[in-house]
Amino acid sequence: MRDLRLMPGCGFAKRKSRLRLRCMAASALAAGTLCAAQAAHAAGTPAGTIINNSATATYDLPSGGQDSVTSNIVSLTVDELLDVSVASTDGGDVATFPGAANQVLTFRVTNAGNGNESFVLSALDTVGGDDFNPSATSIVIDSNGSGVYDPGIDTVYVAGANNPLLAPDASVLIFVLSSIPAGAADGQRGRVDLLAVAATGSGAPGTTFAGQGQGGGDAVVGATGADAEDDGFYAVSAASVAFVKSADVVDPFGGATRVPGSIITYRLVASVSGSGSLANLRIADAIPAGSSFRAGTITLEGAPLSDAADADAGEYTGSGIAVRLGTVAAGAARTVTFQVAID
Amino acid sequence: MKLFLTLLAFLLPSAALAQNQVSLTSEVFVERTVTDANGVGRVSLEAPGVVTPGDHLVFVLSYRNNGAAPASDFVVSNPIPDSVVFDGTDSPGAVYSVDGGRNWGALAALTIRAADGSSRPAALADVTGVRWRFAQAIAAGSGGQLRFRGIVK
Repeated sequence: MRDLRLMPGCGFAKRKSRLRLRCMAASALAAGTLCAAQAAHAAGTPAGTIINNSATATYDLPSGGQDSVTSNIVSLTVDELLDVSVASTDGGDVATFPGAANQVLTFRVTNAGNGNESFVLSALDTVGGDDFNPSATSIVIDSNGSGVYDPGIDTVYVAGANNPLLAPDASVLIFVLSSIPAGAADGQRGRVDLLAVAATGSGAPGTTFAGQGQGGGDAVVGATGADAEDDGFYAVSAASVAFVKSADVVDPFGGATRVPGSIITYRLVASVSGSGSLANLRIADAIPAGSSFRAGTITLEGAPLSDAADADAGEYTGSGIAVRLGTVAAGAARTVTFQVAID
Repeated sequence: MKLFLTLLAFLLPSAALAQNQVSLTSEVFVERTVTDANGVGRVSLEAPGVVTPGDHLVFVLSYRNNGAAPASDFVVSNPIPDSVVFDGTDSPGAVYSVDGGRNWGALAALTIRAADGSSRPAALADVTGVRWRFAQAIAAGSGGQLRFRGIVK
């Protein structure tokens, strides 16, 4: 990027590593400019900085008194280093299902160089190391910085048109949206890589692009080769849940007949099978007509839950009970019990 | 820009030298590892116009007594530039400052005080200036070199 030129003379003012906040003009903003206020320390001295060195010598004169001499100033210009990193932020496989569309993988692209730089993005969906090939349908920039994919709000990436422009050390979340083939089987994994390449250029470390660096110097490819990629995985998860409800009846006489005053303990078991897990699993059951809920009898995995709608996982709603089980992995089960009395 | 720097490089020292019997010249080189056709890396020193973060620099200070009399109590000081991390010197007799030149001493004798009041021994990266004090006077007509190393931040 060549967007900053040193004015003659400014090199001799000591340019302390200052905040480099480089928001571009509005037109560039529309093209997906991303600015973050942060010190440029981690990525190194900002491109275009002048390093000056001089020494001083002092000595005693034969005639008495002291004299000093200052050396010449030797100056170096710091060139733009082109470096980038890409890292999946999914923390594991992303659960999906056969035939699904717009399935999201999330990556963080970071400008590891010392100058403002745009990055060209591409998604590679026919890489090895997986069981099926997802079809990457679009790349989306987290333009509102929400950290999650917001359909219709986040900007769809168009190569060359809105390459994300990042200040040194700044980063942006990139979403890769894919379709999952209908034939993908339960438990299979599909891989998509996100590749980011410095727009100025890439290649072997040390490759120089003369005059193309920020500040008018050269741009030099850094240790990352100015391109980086990371992989993300989809995992087909065909988890399903089965509910089983059973009842134990105790009548007032010690038997098991259903008469007024009998107490029925209902047991609800949710079993998740398949692979992966089910999120936000919830059990709700109505109180049968002709019976009344017995206060304080809801349990989850044997532990009592209060009747009120509060911080714990369940409540009595006035017409039934509701218990939130959260995320339940395949192979696991959750048991909820509650009691009613026959009117 | 380049012309401007060149001009300054000429103007500043010559103006200063006019009334001094001792001359002092500062040079800087960058260590570049060049890999030859056989894949063998070789370190060469180049005079850089430009550097990138992480480059290893060698600063060379050359002094010479051009006068007719010895220069005694000879002291050479070099503040470390802002964007450079000091990386040691092999020229003997150096003392260091880690506080912008207020105190000088052997590195082992210097400490860094943190904001919370605790202190730790100073490290090379803390050095803000290096200084050599010569016990012997610099005889008329003689001179020498001092070197230290740095890394571009």
